This record gives sequence, C-alpha cells and structure tokens, in this order.
Amino acid sequence: MKFLNKIIYFFYREYKLNLSGIQDILTNIIFFFVSIFIFIFSIGPDKETISLIGVGIVWTLLLLSSTLSLRKFYQEDFENGNLLVMHLNGFSYGFIAILKTLSNMIFVQIPFLLSIPIACILLNISNEKLIYVFTSFTLGSLILSCLGSISSSMNLMNQRNYLLGSVIVMIFSVPIIIFSVGIINLEESFNSLVNILFGILLIVFAINPWASGLCLKLSLENN
Amino acid sequence: MKFLVNPNKFNEIADYIFKPILILSIVLFALGLLFALYLSPNDYQQGSTVRIMYVHVPSAWLSLLTYAVMSLYSIAALAFRIPFGYIFNTAVAPIGAVFTLICIISGSLWGKPMWGTWWVWDARLTSVAILFIIYLIIIFMNLSFENRVVREKVVAIFILVGSVNLPIIKFSVDWWNTLHQPATISKLSKPSIDPTMLTPLIIMTLAFMMIGLAISILRIKTEIISRKSNIS
Repeated sequence: MKFLNKIIYFFYREYKLNLSGIQDILTNIIFFFVSIFIFIFSIGPDKETISLIGVGIVWTLLLLSSTLSLRKFYQEDFENGNLLVMHLNGFSYGFIAILKTLSNMIFVQIPFLLSIPIACILLNISNEKLIYVFTSFTLGSLILSCLGSISSSMNLMNQRNYLLGSVIVMIFSVPIIIFSVGIINLEESFNSLVNILFGILLIVFAINPWASGLCLKLSLENN
Repeated sequence: MKFLVNPNKFNEIADYIFKPILILSIVLFALGLLFALYLSPNDYQQGSTVRIMYVHVPSAWLSLLTYAVMSLYSIAALAFRIPFGYIFNTAVAPIGAVFTLICIISGSLWGKPMWGTWWVWDARLTSVAILFIIYLIIIFMNLSFENRVVREKVVAIFILVGSVNLPIIKFSVDWWNTLHQPATISKLSKPSIDPTMLTPLIIMTLAFMMIGLAISILRIKTEIISRKSNIS
C-alpha cells in the first residue's frame, strides 16, 4: 500500500509540474499546427494532393513535435536531484523509467491525440480514416515515449550535442512510421499491421526499462 | 585467445601480426583486382558492370560483420566488465562506417546502369542507409560526451539497441518484394554463382578483411595509447 501511495504521489507531482508548465505543452501543439500550415503553403492548397499525403504529414509532424520535448524528459529531474530522491525512496532505475514513460505518454502525447481530429479536418482526411489514425497513434505514441525515454536517458551527460537525442528517436521510429502509415493506406490488412505495431510496442516496452535504467544509473553515479 | 580481451596481450600479438597482415592484404588485393578485372568473364546480361560486385558485396558483408563484432564486444564489455570492448567500439566504428559508405556508393553506381536509377526506396537500400546513420551516431556520440566512463557505456548500450537493424538488413530481401536480388551465397545451399565469379569474390572479400584488420589494429593501438596517457 505504501508503494502504491508513492506511485500515486509520483503521478500527482508530474501532474502539478506539467500543469505549471502547461505553456510548454501548448507551444508543442502550436508548433504542430504551424508546421501543418507551412506544409500546406509549400505544397499548395490542392485538396486531392493534400488528402493523398495528409496522413504522412500528420505522422511526420507528430514525430517531430514529440521529439521537441525530449530534453524535458529526464533533464530537469536529473539536474535538481529528484531522480536520486526517487531512487532513494525505493524505486529502481528501471521502474523510474517505466513511470516516466507513462507520465510522458499521459501528459505530452495525449494532447496530441486530442488535436488529431482538427488536423484531419485541416488536411482533408475523411472521417472513416480517422479511426485508423487514432488506433495507429495510440500505439505509436507509446512506442515514441519508450524511444524518447531511451534516447533522453542516454544523453543526460551529453552537454555538447543536444540534437543527437532527436536523431536517435527518429532513426528508430522508421519502422513505426512505415507500419502506422500503412494501417491507414491499406485498410484491408488493418489487423495484421496493428498486430505488427503491437509487437514492436512490446519489444520496445521490454527494452526500455533495461536500457534507460542502465543509462540513468550511469549518469547518476558519474555526475 | 587472451589477446582478444587484454590490451597488453593485444599489443604484443599485434606487433607480430601487423606486417604479415599488411603484406597479405596488398598481395590479396592485387590478386583480387587481377581476377576481378581481367580473368573473370563478363555477365551475359550485365556485361562489364558485374565487376562492381567485387567491391560492393565484400564491403556490404564487412559492414555487417563489423557491426556484429561490435555488438558482441558490447555484450562482453557490459556483462563481463571487459574494458577492451569499449576500446574496440571506439576504434572500429569509423571503419564500419567507411565500409557501409563504399557499399552504398558502389551500389548506386551499379544501380544506375542496371535499374536505371541511382537510388530506390527499397527495403534493403533503406536499411543499409539506416545502418550508415547508426554508425555516424556512434561516432558523434564518441565525440560529444565529456565523461569517458559514461560515454563508453552509453555507446555500448546504443550499439546493442541498434543491433535490431542487422536481422532486418539480412532478411529484408526475403521478407519484402524488393528490386534488390536475394542472397546468392548462403551456407545452407550450393551457391548459385559460377565458380569463375566466386573465386574473385572470395579473394576480394579476404583482401577487404585484411585491410580492415590492418587499419583496426592501428586504430586500436592508438586508442590504447591515448587511454594510457589519459588524453580523453
């Protein structure tokens, strides 16, 4: 029960932190929409072209804007010592990674999930396809959170090259992009592609605590 | 076999075998070029362009082999606390990157006359390009961390996470319908390539291996010296 309370307090703390920094999340979403505008201006307002490549644009921009907040993932807690406090309170490093991933999923990715319908209206994606975009993004956002956890914990001690973390996330998200855009374009093979995405999610979810926990431990020990 | 994990033993052995390897690589390379450019026949379909294969295939094999050995050394370094693995990773990553680059460039030079295009977004080509970028990330990570202990372990973890790409590259031609041909030479069946073409291919592979080995011996020795003198 005590352990459960700690977890609840962890999420309460994350909620408070994210609420006080809500402008950060909102700026991410504004970035997402402004990039959609830029895309449409650069392609031209032809409706058919836009609806043809709309899903790809949505996915690319979701990926880009979720890599924007990567620095926030562990860096603040690492610098003010909260990660160490959590560990001293009985959370193992791997478990911290799992909790942080879930909190990133809830507080950073779900706002994007809510803004997808508006983006679909802007990009002329039909309502029937919306459910596919939703399914692929709910699975894909968890995968993106896990990848973000791995790459941002790797780059905790990296003071020179901030972009490396984003590059790592983007290089590993290539299969996710392929399969989740495939879900929308190939509706007849919906089930098999969802299964593949789910398999990727399970693999990444299994690797995540191990890799991020090890990186967190290393950075905390050598800081 | 202790020289594979112990820097001092490695230095001793490397002094003995470096010159023979260098001579062997020069001889094999000359022999391989002779076979590849003069003694092997033209392909009945591709004509002379088939000779690009004798550069393309060995470098592709070696880029995969380098990464596989790097991931083995990463496991050894992380699990059994063998610091030689970190030395190996730092020293060998640029060699693998160069092999991958040679593979990509020669492949696109081969693709232009045969497929009519420099590049297609094909499973095999894309996954090899991703391998190249992974090599580049490893090199940049080696350059951008200040703390050495963190750097080498993080790079080892990254190599292990990135090794999921290797089976994708290997089986990409079987899993997806691609323009790239499937593997000609495999362990389980008789190779479907003519012996007159197989001989130069094997000689060139050995020559590339020897060149890679010679350069990696030099780089590992430099890395050991720089660690001993605490440069970084």
